[in-house]
Amino acid sequence: MDPITLAIAATPSFVASAVEFVEATTIVLAVGVTRGWRAPLLGTVAATATLAVIIGTLGVAIVMVVPEHLLKGVVGALLLLFGLRWLRKAILRFAGIVALHDEELIYQRQLAELRAQGLQKNEFDWVGFLVAYKAVLLEGTEVAFIVIAFGAAGGTALTSAIAGAILAGILVIALGVALRKPLTMVPENWLKFGVGAMLCSFGVFWFAESLGMEWPGDALSIPLIVATFLAASWLAIRMLRVLLPQGARIEARNV
Amino acid sequence: MFRTIWSTVYGLLVDDGQLAIGALAALAVTWLLAAAGGDRTQQIVGWALLAMVLVLVVLNLYRAGLVARARVSSAQR
Repeated sequence: MDPITLAIAATPSFVASAVEFVEATTIVLAVGVTRGWRAPLLGTVAATATLAVIIGTLGVAIVMVVPEHLLKGVVGALLLLFGLRWLRKAILRFAGIVALHDEELIYQRQLAELRAQGLQKNEFDWVGFLVAYKAVLLEGTEVAFIVIAFGAAGGTALTSAIAGAILAGILVIALGVALRKPLTMVPENWLKFGVGAMLCSFGVFWFAESLGMEWPGDALSIPLIVATFLAASWLAIRMLRVLLPQGARIEARNV
Repeated sequence: MFRTIWSTVYGLLVDDGQLAIGALAALAVTWLLAAAGGDRTQQIVGWALLAMVLVLVVLNLYRAGLVARARVSSAQR
């Protein structure tokens, strides 16, 4: 595959994974700045190793045992469920019903919590280790999920998805190390909005394909499905702004 | 870690429960259409699923908007 084709194919996975890496980096940075770097870096390495074991054993076993059409169906259904959740939340944020995801605020809260817990000298910082471990494992699982989603066709699609995720990881971690502060310049809600639409689209695509449907133009249908989801979401945002013209910002856990 | 997994599952099935249940119903209807219909039906199930999911999202958000509006007006009183 030539580099330009690889770059185009890797873009969805790159964008989606970047969002997850930003969230993990924010928490690791907060731990490192308040409690020192040894424990969070060890936590990050341990979480990465755990993820590698999970993907290496469970992932390979699933791919080898489960028939391809069934795997596509299950992956498609899961993608649709999780994608709808992301899309709904992003739409509610754009409409002003749920507060926007604020990396700076999350970072400051994490700093305050970690400082409040205190740190004893000459002891290994298990709190810092576990906080970093949990964040990297959770966000890493989501990255693995994203790679499976965009690489479910196998072959070059999987290569591109893995390349996109690795590149996003390198870029976000490098930026975090260079800046030593949360990456607030990343437009997270826009990215989540786009990623939600893409996950839903891939979900619909794989699920229908697992039932024997042949999409016109095969994978070329995906941009059309994504565009349909984005158009419907834009209409939904307009509708919510008409319903709540004052753009009320309320805690809406149960809306 | 287990708490995080629990909160994700809880969020999916309870916080966003109606959307998740609606999506599962749409997937089930799509599967039934493909299983019961002929070859021609099988070739349109994807578009049917897309249409059902879009209607579901818009209706779910409309309901969310109505709930939020009711909360705002009761808070203003």
